Formats: sequence, C-alpha cells, structure tokens
Amino acid sequence: MLELKNLTKSFGDVPAVRDVSLSVPDGAFLVLLGPSGCGKTTLLRMLAGLELPTAGQILFEGNVVSDGDRQWQVDPAKRNSGLVFQSYALWPHMTVRGNVDWPLKVAGLETAARTQRVDEVLAMLEINQLAERYPNEISGGQQQRVAIARTIAPKPGVLLFDEPLSNLDAKLRVEMRTELMRLHRATGATAVYVTHDQIEAMTMATHVAVVNKGRIEQFGAPQDLIDHPASAFVATFVGTPPNNIVPVVRSGAGWQVAGRPMDITPPLDDCLAMFRADSLSVALTEGPRSLPMELVEVSTIAGRTMATALAGGLRLTAVLDRPPAARVGDRVHIGLPPVPDAWFTPYGERIA
Amino acid sequence: MATLASAPEPRTLQQGRRVLFQPGLVLKLVVLAILVLLIVAPMTGTVLFTLTPDAITAWSDVLVGRLAPNLFWWPLVNTMVIGVVCGVVCVLLGGFLAWAVVMTNIPFRRTIGVMATLPFMIPSFATALAWGGLFKNDRIGGDVGWLQGMGIDIPDWLAWGMVPTLVVLILHYFSLAFTIIAASLATVNSDLVEAAQIAGAKGRKILMGIILPVTTPALIAAGSLCFAGAVSNFAAPALLGLPVRMQTLSTRLFGMIEVGQTARGFVIGILLVLISALFLWLGNRAVSGRRSYATITGKGGRAKRFDLGPMRWPLFAVAALILLCATVVPVIILIASSLAPSSAFLFSNWTLHYWIGTSTANIAQGTPGIWHNPDIMWATTVTLGLGLCVAFTGMFVGLLASYTTARYRSGWLSASIMQISFLPLLIPGIAFGAAYIAFFGAPIGPLPALYGTFAILVIAGTGYLLPFSVQTGRAVIQQVSGELEESARLTGASFARRMWAITVPLAIRGLAAGGILIFVKIIRDLSLVVLLFTPTMPVMSVVAFRYASEGFTQFAHAITVLILIISIIATLLSNRLQTKSQPWLKA
Ligand SMILES: Nc1ncnc2c1ncn2[C@@H]1O[C@H](COP(=O)(O)OP(=O)(O)O)[C@@H](O)[C@H]1O
Ligand SMILES: [Mg+2]
Repeated sequence: MLELKNLTKSFGDVPAVRDVSLSVPDGAFLVLLGPSGCGKTTLLRMLAGLELPTAGQILFEGNVVSDGDRQWQVDPAKRNSGLVFQSYALWPHMTVRGNVDWPLKVAGLETAARTQRVDEVLAMLEINQLAERYPNEISGGQQQRVAIARTIAPKPGVLLFDEPLSNLDAKLRVEMRTELMRLHRATGATAVYVTHDQIEAMTMATHVAVVNKGRIEQFGAPQDLIDHPASAFVATFVGTPPNNIVPVVRSGAGWQVAGRPMDITPPLDDCLAMFRADSLSVALTEGPRSLPMELVEVSTIAGRTMATALAGGLRLTAVLDRPPAARVGDRVHIGLPPVPDAWFTPYGERIA
Repeated sequence: MATLASAPEPRTLQQGRRVLFQPGLVLKLVVLAILVLLIVAPMTGTVLFTLTPDAITAWSDVLVGRLAPNLFWWPLVNTMVIGVVCGVVCVLLGGFLAWAVVMTNIPFRRTIGVMATLPFMIPSFATALAWGGLFKNDRIGGDVGWLQGMGIDIPDWLAWGMVPTLVVLILHYFSLAFTIIAASLATVNSDLVEAAQIAGAKGRKILMGIILPVTTPALIAAGSLCFAGAVSNFAAPALLGLPVRMQTLSTRLFGMIEVGQTARGFVIGILLVLISALFLWLGNRAVSGRRSYATITGKGGRAKRFDLGPMRWPLFAVAALILLCATVVPVIILIASSLAPSSAFLFSNWTLHYWIGTSTANIAQGTPGIWHNPDIMWATTVTLGLGLCVAFTGMFVGLLASYTTARYRSGWLSASIMQISFLPLLIPGIAFGAAYIAFFGAPIGPLPALYGTFAILVIAGTGYLLPFSVQTGRAVIQQVSGELEESARLTGASFARRMWAITVPLAIRGLAAGGILIFVKIIRDLSLVVLLFTPTMPVMSVVAFRYASEGFTQFAHAITVLILIISIIATLLSNRLQTKSQPWLKA
C-alpha cells in the first residue's frame, strides 16, 4: 500500500503541494493528473525522496519513508522506489548497457547476476540490439525505453514516472502507453505516473488524482471522474471532449443562462451548470433554450462530429451524430437540454 | 508485493536519516569558509592592520603628510593618466579592429580576428622587456637597445617613462577590448543594418545611428576593464617607468613593501583597490542602467558587409601593422635578444650561451645559461609546480563553489558565495599579494607564518584566479544537469562514487580546459607573485624581472621566451584535449 497523509510542501512561503492525502493498494497504477505548475513534479520528487515534505507523511507498505513533521526521511536509494525523469537523465558518457548496469553495480550485485538482469530488461523493452550505443546515438523513443529499463532493473516496489511520454510524438506516445501498461503488469510494482494529458490518465490509471494548485480536487477511478466530477475543474479537465460549464445567475424573477433569460431551476441563485458534450445540439435557428454563438471548429471523431462554438468568453463543445449544416465562422444556436448534468457553486464545488 | 520471478529479495527499508539542517547547509558553510580564508580574511586583515595604533599614521602619511605628494598623489596622477589613456585608446583600437573584422570586407578577416586575440596571451612584462630591447637608450647605463645600436638616437621620452608604458599597455589590453566589442558586434543582426540601408541611411549614419548605440554597453565594459587592467598593471611601469623614477600606485606599493614600510604600502594598496573597483563599478552601472539591445534580435546570417572600396588595403595595412607590433615583433625581439650577446646588435653574433652555456667568467659575470643555472631551473620547477597546484586547487574550489550555488540556489549564503568569488576581479594582483603578506606573513594561531613557502603561492594563486575557476566550474556544472546527478543519487551511490562515475567523466573536458587556462594564467603572472617572491621560492616571471632590473637582459628574455613556450604548449594541449574524440560527444 502506498499512502500519503496530509502531505504538504512549500518553497519558502509558496506552497506547491497542500495537504494531500490518499492511498492506493500494491500494484495500483496511480495517475496524478493536473495542469502545468500544479505541483505534480514536486509531489513525485517527495515520493522519490528527493524533496523533504514540509509537513505530512509518506508510507510505503505501512513504513513511513518521509515524515515532514519530524523533518526525517529515508534516503532516496533505500526506499525501494525508482524514478523515470521527464528529461530521461541518461548518463551521456555511458552506453545503453552501462546506463542500465551502473545502478545494479552500485547496489552491489555480482557481475553474472547483473549481466543477466540487464539482458533481461533490455529484452523486455526490446532495446537489446542498442546495448552498445551511446544515448546520443539513439532516438528519443529509444532513450525513453532506456530510461525505463534503467529504472526497473533494480526491481523497485514503487515506480515513479514524470510525464514520461510528453517528449514523444503522437504515434509513439500511443505505443509507449500500451508498453508501459504491459510493463506495469509484468513487474507488479505500484506505479505513480504524472501527466497533464487526461487521455493518458483515463486509459492507463487504476486510480486518478486530479491535482489543481497543489490540492487534490478528486481522487477515484477514471470512470468516477467522468461520471461524477467532484468539481467544475475536474468536469472541464477530464473527458473527450471535456464537459461544458455555463454560468447561471438570478435576474429578477427568473434566471439567465450565459446572459440569456432561460427557463431553468438551479439549486442556488448563482451557480454553474454542467452539460455533457453529447447533450448539446447545434441549430441554425433559435430554439427555446439556445445560445447564439460563432461556430469556430468542426472535426470528425470516430464517425461523430465535434463542433465548438464561441461567444464572449464562453466556449462550448458539442458532439453530434452528423455534421451541422453551418460552416465555420457562421452564427449558430447551441441548444441546451432542460436539465443540466450537474450543478456547481460559483467556486466550482459540486452541488448536485 | 509481486515482483518478477527472477527478482532478488526486495530490498528492505533501511534506517532513514533525520535531516537536521536545511539541505546543503554544511556544504555552503564549507565553501564559504574556504572563500573567507582565501579572499575576505586577507583583505580585511590588511585593512585592520593599517588601523592598528602602530600603523594608523600611515594613512595620514600617505594622504596628507609631507611625503604625501610623492607617496600617493603623483603616483595617483600617473596611474589615472595611464588608466584613462589606455582605456580610451584600447576601445578605439579594439573597436576599429572589431568593426573591420565583423562588419567589413577587409582582406584576411579571419586571420586578423585570430591575431587580435593573441596579444592578451603575451604577458605585459614580455612586451615591456621587448620594448627595452628595441628602444633602450644610454640614459641609465647598461646595454642599449637595437635602434640605438643602429645609430638612431632614441630620446628619453621614447625610451623610458609614460610613453613606452602607455604603448606597451595599449598593445596588451586592446586585445581584451577587441574580444568584448567583436562579440557584441556579432550580435548586431544584419537585418538591422539592412533595414537602415533600405531606409536610405548610408555608412556613417548606420554606424552612428544603429551600430554605436547597440554596442555602447560593450564599449563601456571594454573601456572600464582596460582601465582597471592598466591601473593595476605592475610590469610595464616597473620595467619602463621605475628606472626614471616614474611611479604609479602599483610600483609605489611594491617599493614600500620592498623597503619595509609595510603599513604605507598596505594603505596604498587599499587605495588602489578602491580606485580600480570604483571604475569597474561605474562601468558596470553604466551598462546595467541601459537596456541591452543585443539579445532582442536573433543572430542572422550576415549576407552583406560594408564594402571598404579603395580603403580595403590601406585599412588592412593599418590593422596588420598594429597586430604585428603587438604579437610578432615582441616575440622576435625577445628571441633574438636571448641569443645576441649585445642587444645593441640584436641580429649578430648569435650564441646559445644564455640558453645552454656553462659559466664563463667574461660573459654576464659568469652567470651560466639558463639550462645550467640552478636558480633558474629551480624557479622553473617551482613555477610549473605552482601552475599545476593552482590549476588543481583552483578547479577544485571553483567546482565546489559553483556546484554548491547551482544545487542550492536560494538563500543568502549562496548569494554571498557568488559575490565573494568574483571579488578578486576588483583587486589588482599586486594589492592581492600585499594582502597575503599581511595576513599569512605572521603566524595565525598554531599555524606557522607562510611567507616564503610554496603554500602561500598556491593559496594566493587559487584565491586570485577564483573568478576564472568559478566561471569555468559553472559552465562545467551546467553540462551536468541536476537530473543526471539526481538519477545517480537514486541508485544509492555515495557522493564520492557519483563524483567519480558520473560528474567527473562528464565534466572532465571542461575541467581540463579550465585547469590549463588557470595554469597558463598563473605561470605568466608577475604582479601577484612579485611581492610573495623569496629567493628560496622563486618563480620564473619574478626571476626574469630581477634579471632585467639588474641588466642581465639576455637571461630575462630567455626566461620570458621559456614562459611563452610553456604557455603555448599548454594551450595547444588544451585544444588537443578538447578535440580528442569522446564517443558520447559525437553526432
Ligand atoms: N525548487 C523549487 N523552488 C521554488 N519553487 C519551486 C521549486 N520547484 C517547484 N516550484 C514551484 O512549485 C510549483 C509546482 O511546480 P511543479 O511541481 O514543478 O509543477 P508541475 O510538475 O505540476 O508542472 C510551481 O509554482 C513551481 O514554480
Ligand atoms: Mg513537472
């Protein structure tokens, strides 16, 4: 079990990670999902033992490995964890084999055992024919594999990945995703995987923690986040396409939706309504519950059409069964269903 | 926890350790202690020494006493004249060459560009000695120079004093100005110039309206560095000015310490530091007050250069003449006069006596050639040892300081480490040497007095060249990014092992190049070591200086040539080392 208890990290007065608590069972694939700068790397570096928490604890299998309250931690090398850096951090003066071998050598393994383990790991990642090359003689995707091989070779119980696929091109990224999941199953290690890409999170994770401004907004299974987003932030951050959020404010006796009077009954005077993309419609004429907007994007996805429209600061995306009759740049009317899929307070907390 | 079938036992969690201090505190304190010992303590020690009851009258003696004009004010005037003239002329000369090389179609641009960086590598005492070989007249007796020997009457003002000092210093420092200005000109995007041309501006307008404003910060920086270099220079005024009693602050400082008036010497040294630092600070302020334009535009290909037209060859002749005078001519004179029995007849009766001859009573009072001269051989050994030691300690401290500040960037400790390590840039070498005498000359606690030992030379050299070693160290550290080191840390390797297996192999090229740079700088330095010199611990440059002062010019010149040869070999070695193939750097 991997457990975080009230984990907090501040750099000077600036908090980067605030009061994070969660736990996942052994062998889980935990994804930390959040926008850039939200504290994901900091969290991961605390797990690796490279940063000491300001407060709170980290427990691996019931053992405290970092304790911010007592300013104490287990040495990075003795936590039974391995980290794959975003930049790969391959040692440029060592061959591929050397990179994978050196940590084992430091760990004090016999030469024979090392050779066997290196061969095994290189084969597992299908890079055995690159063994004698230097890092600058192989491609980015291959470097990525070497970085992973180097990390899994000493068989850590916890594998940490910092945005490992962000430097790869789109096709390679999809391949590596599958590869990483296979590897995770093969090693059985607990994985903590940091990304800003919600598709990666949704496809790979057993558990997802959505991080925003250093806090966990929601923690759960991927499907949970889609079905029951706990906040407006989560609602707009996960899902393909993400959900639409429209402000609803009281105006006299009725309510205005994005500035237009509409027949709707929100639970509060001021709130945010969430509409799933496939509950919206696009029409050329005004309807009973529609917003006039400019059509800015139309694209086809898996036989369906995704249309995005813009008005003021509001951006709505609809998923339709067939392409709209309008063209990009035209004025269209986005039809809303009578009941939104969820309600949030103006601060983003879920109401219903 | 499930692991692969062939997995060894999962590693057990071992006892962690309490992080008592903020990380890096110990390291920072160690580095700071080293820097304090090398730089801060000698400087404050000097100031405090002049404030002791016995010494405090030195301040009034130097500043207002009856002797004050001779002790301080006239040397100050000379020093300022040297600094200002040298600063201005170097900027003009270096600027002209930089403009010609970077922006025009002058013939042999590349050759000129390379040649213009060389004079700074020739120590100023070499150029000053060469000047004597050429222009010395019979004013102070001894051998006359070649021109006088050819029957040309050399007037005193050309043989001694201010004019030759200025010429020698300018020939030395313009190369520094060239490097700075050329680098700045190279960033002037050719689009910038072409846009002005399209707008209808012609050569002069473009120069005054575009190029000059953009390069002003570089001009100011070059001027203030040349000024600071010239005011703190010791060799040129000592060799060319002292014989006719022209004093500058640095020769005064030297003279005071030589005759045992240490307190007065230290006061003059402190004033010299203040003057040099003031101008560097002013220059820095003038530069930082301006917006730096250079970085606004990317570097574009320079499609077109100014066409000099019929002026191409005349301008080339001017540039070539300046460069020959600053590089080839001094070297030829030094070599020739180390071979000629009389510098009046530089190119006749050449003999290798001064190099490999044994003692002969009728030549140079029986002084044997440098190969058979135990004093000179000992000085050579000491100098090489000093170069190696300082290169080693310098790179070690430089690396440690830059590693510490790179890894633990925040906090006032890191900031002070950075500030202190660049402090020696403001301190003239001779004042630095004086400070070391003040601080290490007497026993400190249980430690014996270090004056006259090899250790004091190494410590002084390390402290004096720290700005260079820290700069090199920083460049090296940047090659070894934090994550490369962290990923090694994650394996559990100890600090020493990480250094040995990861950091050092990655950094070795930069380290070696930096070390050689320091080696070359220290073996050809005169001003720092001239005060620390003792007959038991001689260094080559001071031995050459002494021989020259005593009229044994051939020996002085031979030793100087030897220093030049060692410098050149070391530099070539460093180049070779840099290009030596390292498989991971290919592609
Ligand atoms: N060493 C550090 N010193 C000061 N601030 C830091 C440091 N590392 C990260 N931060 C700050 O902490 C916040 C979170 O950073 P990070 O964990 O790198 O975010 P992410 O990986 O999610 O993009 C950022 O605001 C960043 O500026
Ligand atoms: Mg990050």
